Amino acid sequence: MNKQIAIIALMAGVAAALPLMTGENPYFTGVMISVLMMAALSSAWNILGGYAGQYSFGHAAYFGAGAYTTLIFISRFNLNPLLSIVAGIIVAGIIALITGSIVFRLRGHYFGLASIAVAEIVRLSVLNFDFTGGAQGILISDVSLWGFDLNSKNPFYYGMLIVLVVTLGITLFLRKSKTGYYLQAIREDQDAAASLGINLSFYKNKALLISAALTSVLGSLYAVYIRFIDTTAVLDLRLSIEIILTAIIGGVGTLWGPVLGAVLLVPLAEMLRSNVIGDTLVKFGIVSASSGLGIFLKENLAHAHVLVYGIITVLCILYLPKGILGLFGRGK
Amino acid sequence: MNQHLLDIRHICKQFGGNAAVSDVSFSVDEKQIIGLIGPNGAGKTTLFNCITGFYPVTSGDIIFNNKKINSLRPDQVCHSGMARTWQTVKPLASLTVMENVMIGGFSVAKSIREAEDIATEQLLLVGLTDYAGKSAGSLPIGLKKKLELARVLATQPKLLLLDEICGGLNITETDTILSIIRDIRNKGATIVFIEHDMKAVTSLCDWIVVLNSGEKLAEGTPEEITHNPDVIAAYLGGSQNA
Amino acid sequence: MFFLQSLLSGILTGGVYALAGIGMSLVFGVMNISNFAHGDLMMLGMYLAYFAFTLLHIDPYVSLLLIIPISFLFGFLIEKVFIRQIIHHPHQNQILLTVGLGLIMSNSTLLAFTSDPKILTTSYSSSAINIFDGISLSVPLLLSFIVTCGITGILYMFLSKTTTGLALMATSQNREAAQLMGINVAKMSAIAFGLGTALAATAGALIAPTYYIHPMAGHSFLLKAFTICVLGGLGSVFGAAIGGIIIGIVEAMASTYLSTDWKDVVVFILFLAVLLFRPEGLFGKKGEQ
Repeated sequence: MNKQIAIIALMAGVAAALPLMTGENPYFTGVMISVLMMAALSSAWNILGGYAGQYSFGHAAYFGAGAYTTLIFISRFNLNPLLSIVAGIIVAGIIALITGSIVFRLRGHYFGLASIAVAEIVRLSVLNFDFTGGAQGILISDVSLWGFDLNSKNPFYYGMLIVLVVTLGITLFLRKSKTGYYLQAIREDQDAAASLGINLSFYKNKALLISAALTSVLGSLYAVYIRFIDTTAVLDLRLSIEIILTAIIGGVGTLWGPVLGAVLLVPLAEMLRSNVIGDTLVKFGIVSASSGLGIFLKENLAHAHVLVYGIITVLCILYLPKGILGLFGRGK
Repeated sequence: MNQHLLDIRHICKQFGGNAAVSDVSFSVDEKQIIGLIGPNGAGKTTLFNCITGFYPVTSGDIIFNNKKINSLRPDQVCHSGMARTWQTVKPLASLTVMENVMIGGFSVAKSIREAEDIATEQLLLVGLTDYAGKSAGSLPIGLKKKLELARVLATQPKLLLLDEICGGLNITETDTILSIIRDIRNKGATIVFIEHDMKAVTSLCDWIVVLNSGEKLAEGTPEEITHNPDVIAAYLGGSQNA
Repeated sequence: MFFLQSLLSGILTGGVYALAGIGMSLVFGVMNISNFAHGDLMMLGMYLAYFAFTLLHIDPYVSLLLIIPISFLFGFLIEKVFIRQIIHHPHQNQILLTVGLGLIMSNSTLLAFTSDPKILTTSYSSSAINIFDGISLSVPLLLSFIVTCGITGILYMFLSKTTTGLALMATSQNREAAQLMGINVAKMSAIAFGLGTALAATAGALIAPTYYIHPMAGHSFLLKAFTICVLGGLGSVFGAAIGGIIIGIVEAMASTYLSTDWKDVVVFILFLAVLLFRPEGLFGKKGEQ
């Protein structure tokens, strides 16, 4: 346990120093923010999915709840950003409680489907109300907190890092607590767990609430960082799936699996999007820029990152079902 | 008049049109060991599931410790003092043996330390101390059954429901389990025992209840039951290991 | 007046939904798998119909003669190559495999044909028949419904009168028992998945004349198909047929009396209500979860 804490601290230290070491490179910082955010999102999901064994396919609902609530409070009610984030947590918590009361009675296939249904209801409702900006989304202008201008990237880099560290810390703490043991029992065999005195609903809801709250904070941070959100950006099923895939590929149910997944997949997606891969192939003479293949790559690789995710997912499920870290057992 | 620890009154359980359990009544007093026997499909496990809150009864009452517990959830039943093992063992596979038993212990323990202590004690009782760090899923069936027992004992139940704890075990393994149960019994436990092994049942039980096709066929002492013609007929003309 | 018009349109659309639902229900019954790529299979059917029409000049309904065998084969192969490997894996992994396959299908289509929506306009795309007193039925919808009835009838014959069909139904009822009776359950799985794919593709082809065709078109049908399956009872073909019609009607009514923006929300709320209050659906087996 102490070893794990030390590793988290070390990683946090390195990550904290990174922007200072690489100089003011906004592009790099931007990518790192995405990595940290996805690592935190997947780790938060992992508390419910990896430890309690309840795969929520609708986690975008909590991300969006945080994002929308925060921006609405900032733009319409001029509320302090930190308090707006708290408001986001409350809204996400309400959605989580409602969801939990419906879906946790259901087993197996039904649970996943129900979680999608809830998330889609949230998305469509937000899309249809003018109050939430409808299809145009919400745009805010410059934000400041206690006099500090929040227009640069660094505050959000550190914000995401803090949430990630907190999430990992909570995961570690849970693992060695009664709650953590109970969640894992639920994951392994719900009937056995119930027969041993475990109140299934209570513990599943507990895990969901923690997971939803953390996800909501990340949504709020994202919203204030980008300053524009719409349902496609923060409430889409694609986001929910991406969170799950990141955890699966890295190793669901392990501490570092989701982080590893994010560290591998987010830069890969970025490289595809910005055509780094295509350019590299050309540079090394493997592909000629003017050939059919060259042109095809140049035009299309940018859109291919989801396709690559799909291929990696299929390969992972078939050949590495416990993810990369799963090869080393659950301890990690 | 002594109050029974467990009182089953006229339990019926229907699944659609199928009556899995019909009008079954019996009672269990403290420190008794009751055997629940009957051919396959007689409704024994269904009855256990009804008693422990996994199935809602269609009609009838379950009175435990003077309280009607019909509507309790399985976890609540455990907390009220009644615990059960499973016919097909349910180890928490990717957790260690120690962790499995600790989870049982958490239902009464107030701290991790206490749960560990309870678990250590139970592992010693069943003879699994050397396996404490092994993953539960990797154990052979005989040890999985011991684990199931240790885990349920860690919940410190007043009444223990054992569902075919000897099922799938060879003679040596069966003897080991039975001697553990004798130990538990000597410490004053109350047990209801579903079992097919008639030798085990007759040697351990004070009283036997026989189910057939969901109904109670007979009840009595082991002596009475092994000589009951209806019971012998129900087991298709053979008396098993009598 | 609105009521009757909505009801009829709903029934007609519901017929096509029913096809998608039946396909999914078959797969679920025989293989116990939730196929999250089902919507994308419908989308492939839409594109097949589009290209049959624009390149080969075959009418969508006629192109079914091509689409059905091609998609059956496609599904059959996918089952053998991918799905079969994970038949004993935990169900979450099964779902994720189908998610991955779906992503591959939709994004390959995206790369190949871009996200510009394609429109399949036949000569009768916007025709309508007036039946009486201001009620009109869209011709494509009517034709789709008729074709759907025909296909459902053939499917019913197949499932209840042929050896393979009966074997499929037996496997769906109880896989272990079927295996013990000598049925090759692995082959049944492949056939079921092939059939499910063919039905999904057919549904896609049938609605192609009335929807925008684009790579992500399948996604909105996925949850609807699940709703239909659950409403009808997972594994019940007849249930899925009824479920499809009901969802078609619910959607049409919601569109008319609330607004088109909210019609999906109503369907999804219905979905949650069914899961909560009658998880076995209308015709499913109780206790199956």
